[in-house]
Amino acid sequence: MNILPQLILNSIIAGAIYFLVVLGFNLIYGATKFFNLAHGIMAAIGGYSVFYFSETLGVSIYVAIILGVAFAGFSGFALDKFIYLPLRRRKASNNVLFVASLGAMTSLQAIIAILFSSKFKMFPQNVTTQKLFTIFGGIITQTQLVILVSAVLVMLGLVILLYKTQFGKAVRAISEDEEMARIIGIDTNKIIGYVFFIGSAIAGFTGILVGFDVGIEPNMGLNLLLKGVIASIVGGIGNIYGGVLGAFLLGFVENLGIWKISGEWKDAISFALLIVFLIFRPRGIMNK
Amino acid sequence: MEYLIHLAILFSIYAILGVSLNLVVGYTGLLSVTHAAFFGVGAYTTAIFLTKSDIGFFSSLIFGIVIAVVVSSLIGVVLSKFKGDYYALGTFGFNTIVFAIFLNWQNLTMGPLGISGIPKPELFGINFANNFNFLVLSFIFLFLVYFFSRFVVNSSFGRVLKAIREDEIAISVFGYNTLYFKLIIFVISSAMAAVAGSLFASYITFIDPSSFQLQESMFILVIIILGGLANLRGSLLGALFLILLPEILRFVGFPSGIEAQMRQVVYGIILILLMLYRPQGVIGEYKL
Repeated sequence: MNILPQLILNSIIAGAIYFLVVLGFNLIYGATKFFNLAHGIMAAIGGYSVFYFSETLGVSIYVAIILGVAFAGFSGFALDKFIYLPLRRRKASNNVLFVASLGAMTSLQAIIAILFSSKFKMFPQNVTTQKLFTIFGGIITQTQLVILVSAVLVMLGLVILLYKTQFGKAVRAISEDEEMARIIGIDTNKIIGYVFFIGSAIAGFTGILVGFDVGIEPNMGLNLLLKGVIASIVGGIGNIYGGVLGAFLLGFVENLGIWKISGEWKDAISFALLIVFLIFRPRGIMNK
Repeated sequence: MEYLIHLAILFSIYAILGVSLNLVVGYTGLLSVTHAAFFGVGAYTTAIFLTKSDIGFFSSLIFGIVIAVVVSSLIGVVLSKFKGDYYALGTFGFNTIVFAIFLNWQNLTMGPLGISGIPKPELFGINFANNFNFLVLSFIFLFLVYFFSRFVVNSSFGRVLKAIREDEIAISVFGYNTLYFKLIIFVISSAMAAVAGSLFASYITFIDPSSFQLQESMFILVIIILGGLANLRGSLLGALFLILLPEILRFVGFPSGIEAQMRQVVYGIILILLMLYRPQGVIGEYKL
C-alpha cells in the first residue's frame, strides 16, 4: 500500500491545527509584542472544560463546546487583567512578561493535572465511533474534516474582524504602534484585553478539536504552544499569511520526516526546523 | 542527620547549577532555558562511562565537561546572534531536542528506562559511597565553581558581559565582538552544569530523561530569579530555599499523589509574584 497520500493528508491536518494555534498566538503577539507562553495552556483549558461539562455534568456536547471556548477566552482575559496588564503599566521589559507567562503556564498545567490527573483522556465521540472518508487513497475522519473546515472559517472570521470593523482597525493600530494608538484616543488596554479573549478562545477551540481527534492530556498545551511558536517564527512572526505558510510547512516537514525517521523524533525534527530558520532566516518567510 | 547530609548534597548540586546559570542570565542578560540539557549531558556521560567502562569518576567528569563544551560551542554559535525573546526560544527548542535524544537514543541512554547502578566515585583510597565524604566532595566542587565564577564576573571580561547586558550596540561600537563574549560565557556556564550533572548521576546512582526536561531548566531559572540576578550569593540563597521548600510543603500536608504537581504550582506562582512585585529577586542587582 502506498502511504504517501496518507502522509500528505496527515501533514495537512497537522498544519491546520498548528495554523489555528498560530492565529491566536500571532494576534496576541502583534498587540503586546511578547511571547505569551501561557497561550498553549488555553487549548488544554478548552479541551478539559468540554470533558468536564459533557462527561461529568452531562451537558449536551454542543453546549459544552461553547462553554469550553468561552471559558478558555475568559482565562486568557483574566491572565491579562491580573498579570500582564499590571506589568505593562509598570513598563516591564519583555523578559519579565516572558518569565511571568512561563510561571502562569507551569502553574495552570499542574493545576489541570491535579484536578483531572495526568492520564490521557478520550472524548466519547472519538476515532472509533466516527465516520471515515477516503480521499485520494488516504483516510480522513469526520473530526479531521471539521478541523480543516474550521481552520478556514476561523481565518476568514479573523480577517473580516481585523480588516472590516472598527475594532479591527484599533487592533491593527496597536500592533503598529501602541503609544501612537493611545495618543489618538484608543483605549489600548481595553482592546488588548479583548485581543487576549479572542486569541485564547481560538486556542481553546483548537484544544477541543484536538480532543475530539486524539484525546486530551495536561501536556497538550505545551506541545501545541511549541509547535505554534515554531510555525509563527518560520512563517514570519505577527504575519497572518506567514502563519499559514509556517504552519503547513511545519506539518509537512514533521509528517514527511517521520516517513524516514521513527516517530519519536517528531519534536526534535520540528525544533531542528526552527534552528535552521534561526540560522538562515530569523525573520521568517514572509517578513521583510 | 543522614537526611540533612542528603539535603546538603542536593543543595550543593543545585547551587552549582544556579551560580553557573546566573553568569548567562544575570550577568549577560540572556534568558537561557536550556541549563538542564547540559546538566543532563554531564550526568549521562558519567553514567555511561561508569557503567560501561572502568575509567573512574574523575576521567568521566572530564569527558562530560569536554562534551558539554563541544555541544555548547556548536549551539552557542547560533544562539549568540540573538538576544531577548529569540534567545529564550532558541534555548527552549534546544532543551527539547536534547531531551528527545536522551529519550530516543536507546542503545546509548536506555531511553525512558534510564541508567541504574552507577557506581560512586573513589579516589586515593577514599570511598565516596559514604554520604559525608560525598558531601565534602560536592562542596569542594561548589567552592571551585563559585570562586571561578566570582573571578570571571570581577574581571575585565565580566565587565564586558555587564555592558552587553545594558546595551549591546553601544559596547560593540567600542570594538568588542559581542558574539564572542556571549559564546564564551555560555560555554563556561554549560561546562559547570556538566560538573553538576556528573555529581548528580554518581550520587543518585540512577538517572532517566525526566530529570533533564524543560521543567528542570525552569526550576533552575526560579532558583536564580528568586535569589537574585547578577548576584552569586543570591543563587546560593535561592538554591537553599528551593531545596528546603518541598520539606516545608510536607508540613502543610498535601496528599502524596499530587505533591510533585503542587510543587510546580508553587514554583509558577513564585515566578509570577516575583515578576509582579520584585523582578530583581531577593538580593539581585539586575532587573530582567
